[in-house]
Amino acid sequence: MDLTFSVQDEAFRARFRAWLEEAMAEYKEVMRAGGGNPLEQSRVWQAKLYEAGYLGMAWPRAYGGQEASLTEQVIVSEELARAKAPGTINTIGLTIAGPTIVQHGTEAQKQRFLPKILTAEELWCQGFSEPGAGSDLPALRTRAELKDDHFVVNGQKVWTSGAFFSNWCALLVRTDPSAPKRKGITYLLCDMKSPGIEVRPLRNAGGGSHFCEVFFDDVKIPRENMVGELHGGWQIARSTLEHERSGLSGVIALEGNLERLWQLASTIQRGDHKAIDEVMVRHQLVQMWFEKEGLRYLGFRNLSAQISGSGAGVSGSLGKLVNSQLRQKMASLGLEIAGPLASVAKKSPHVLDRGRWQAGYFDALGYSIGGGTSEIMHNAIAEGVLGLPHSADQ
Amino acid sequence: MDFELSEEQNLIRDVAARFLEDNWSSDIRRKGLDEPPATIPSELWSEIAAMGWLGISVGEDVGGGAQDMLSAAILAEAAGAALLPGPLISTMAAVTALDRSGNQSLRNAHIRALIQGDKRATLAVEEANGCWGPDRVEARAVLASDGSGTLTGTKILVPDGDGADLFLVAARLPDGLGLIAIAGDAPGLSVTPMRRMDGQAVVEVQLDGVPFDENAILASTDGDAERVLREAYDFWSVLLAADLLGISSAVLEITTEYAKERVQFGRPIGSFQAVSHKLADNLVDVEIGRSLLYGACLALDEEAPDREVLVSAAKAYLSDTAVSVSESGLQLHGGIGYTWELDIHLYLRQARCNAASLGDAAHHRERAATYLADSFG
Repeated sequence: MDLTFSVQDEAFRARFRAWLEEAMAEYKEVMRAGGGNPLEQSRVWQAKLYEAGYLGMAWPRAYGGQEASLTEQVIVSEELARAKAPGTINTIGLTIAGPTIVQHGTEAQKQRFLPKILTAEELWCQGFSEPGAGSDLPALRTRAELKDDHFVVNGQKVWTSGAFFSNWCALLVRTDPSAPKRKGITYLLCDMKSPGIEVRPLRNAGGGSHFCEVFFDDVKIPRENMVGELHGGWQIARSTLEHERSGLSGVIALEGNLERLWQLASTIQRGDHKAIDEVMVRHQLVQMWFEKEGLRYLGFRNLSAQISGSGAGVSGSLGKLVNSQLRQKMASLGLEIAGPLASVAKKSPHVLDRGRWQAGYFDALGYSIGGGTSEIMHNAIAEGVLGLPHSADQ
Repeated sequence: MDFELSEEQNLIRDVAARFLEDNWSSDIRRKGLDEPPATIPSELWSEIAAMGWLGISVGEDVGGGAQDMLSAAILAEAAGAALLPGPLISTMAAVTALDRSGNQSLRNAHIRALIQGDKRATLAVEEANGCWGPDRVEARAVLASDGSGTLTGTKILVPDGDGADLFLVAARLPDGLGLIAIAGDAPGLSVTPMRRMDGQAVVEVQLDGVPFDENAILASTDGDAERVLREAYDFWSVLLAADLLGISSAVLEITTEYAKERVQFGRPIGSFQAVSHKLADNLVDVEIGRSLLYGACLALDEEAPDREVLVSAAKAYLSDTAVSVSESGLQLHGGIGYTWELDIHLYLRQARCNAASLGDAAHHRERAATYLADSFG
């Protein structure tokens, strides 16, 4: 057993860290000067990462990627999280659409789409969920009929993050309504400027508007924008949904949360003592640190298994479940530590830290829903890992 | 970056599991609850010694295996899964303390006989004060200027103490804490059998002015006796955490198999989410606990600065996990789970006992809090 990275990897980390420090200082300078709207700033940041060679780490060089080793990929995501670097704007492009095109796209699709995903010239959204197809995604009903050289799409998608600013959409549609539900789905790449698309933003429970409803009314999509086979879209969507990750960068984010919580508890006065002096508070924080640390070593187990190809990794569903539970426990504890001030709204007198603990609380609620609910993660663990029988008739 | 079991460690695990399946039965533990305590028969103990388990962490020059912490933990996990009683773990911890102490005369005098199973040694740390661990030790060693001393105090919950040839006793020395090696037949030492809820034999040890000389202190090569004691206690705690992991994964496996076979309402009960989600939660705890255990093992081997907090993380997390997985195993079996014949209560008993040994979850959370306050402060 050995958790050290190789000398070359550490040299790579040092190089990236040095670059990151400088790049972030520059970026903050631009932000302070009020350069452009937030979307534009994010594009600029992503392009900066790309130009320096720290984006598309796993992708082929031919399409702008780095073909970097697994350890270099992990180092980049760890260091980005550690430096609290701004997020890359094109999340869906980089983590869903891009990898799908790399794996299943035609040569023309790879050349057409991949470079612009990396440079953030084209932003992507994901048209999977529907009002009647959430956890039961294969039940989706958005209809696409093939007419000569194009599809005609009619239906509705929902929870589509960033649809209002996206240029392209990775879209799942039903092409064969008579086939079993997993056998009649096709994977399309849809230009969001196509006539017949209407995007309506949805406000989330926390008050933000990150996701949208998208309506399709006789939208034409050229046949060349189909990924893989006709009616073969479900397998393609699954292969990227199940893309295994070590989860190590998520752990660094949790670590940051925990440190802020600890400092909050050490600051908040409760009469004659601080919140951290209370056993209940202290032990909850320690228990969360244990769980965070457990996730970290679980990440090392997964990364090692990926590197060695031993197949001994632990299901990604497990890490996702623990991560979202832990985020929520931390967010709730933040409000508990805040005590009476937990109720004070932002911009009110006496508000604590400008309302960030409440915002964090509502933000955390989404983690156990987006990307597969915790209930579905439980099913995946029970059926996929423990081998228990299916909970519902398929 | 390599955080997987090595081929050799996989082999250790498989051989241990097969050996225990062939040579040990949970029925012995069940009988041990009604009749005198369940112990490992001397022939089996000799075989265990012959396989090199007792000295797996001990130096090669005295016949040990010189393996890392994780390899020792793998044996402890297999023992927990098979419900083998505790002397394996306490012996591994005692001989390793002796091996690493730097007290060459003690090491040379005892260690070969101990790892060959010809003599028995144990650790006596806990006292009847409602606490755990070195910090609360009150047994007192008085040293005269000629290097002779006397040891007075009472130890409880000492495993494998009935007929032990050597007790490594935690005591307050004039300049700090330490372990003192006391022969089982020393004058002033008396042993009273105690019994645990899981049927395992432990003892109370009375030390009434027991004579010793300063060469019996397990000091490190640079004379630090307290560090030897603390490291021994951490080593022992990690082995106990591994035993708790073995219990947890065994109960989870037994219960999962049952949920696949047991049919009610025309379906296997494992197809009901009230059952399957509970088992999924148990698996999450087992995998997080296993990851923490591996992390603690590596930290001890590397003497990493965060080793103590990782030991506490593993012991606390797996104490809670073994109890909760055993309790839900009992519950998910329904009526049959509540019977004497099924092994679940044997696992639950051992889980409860070991969770309350060498510091319970709250004890270790508090120890970790002290460390984290420094690192976050």
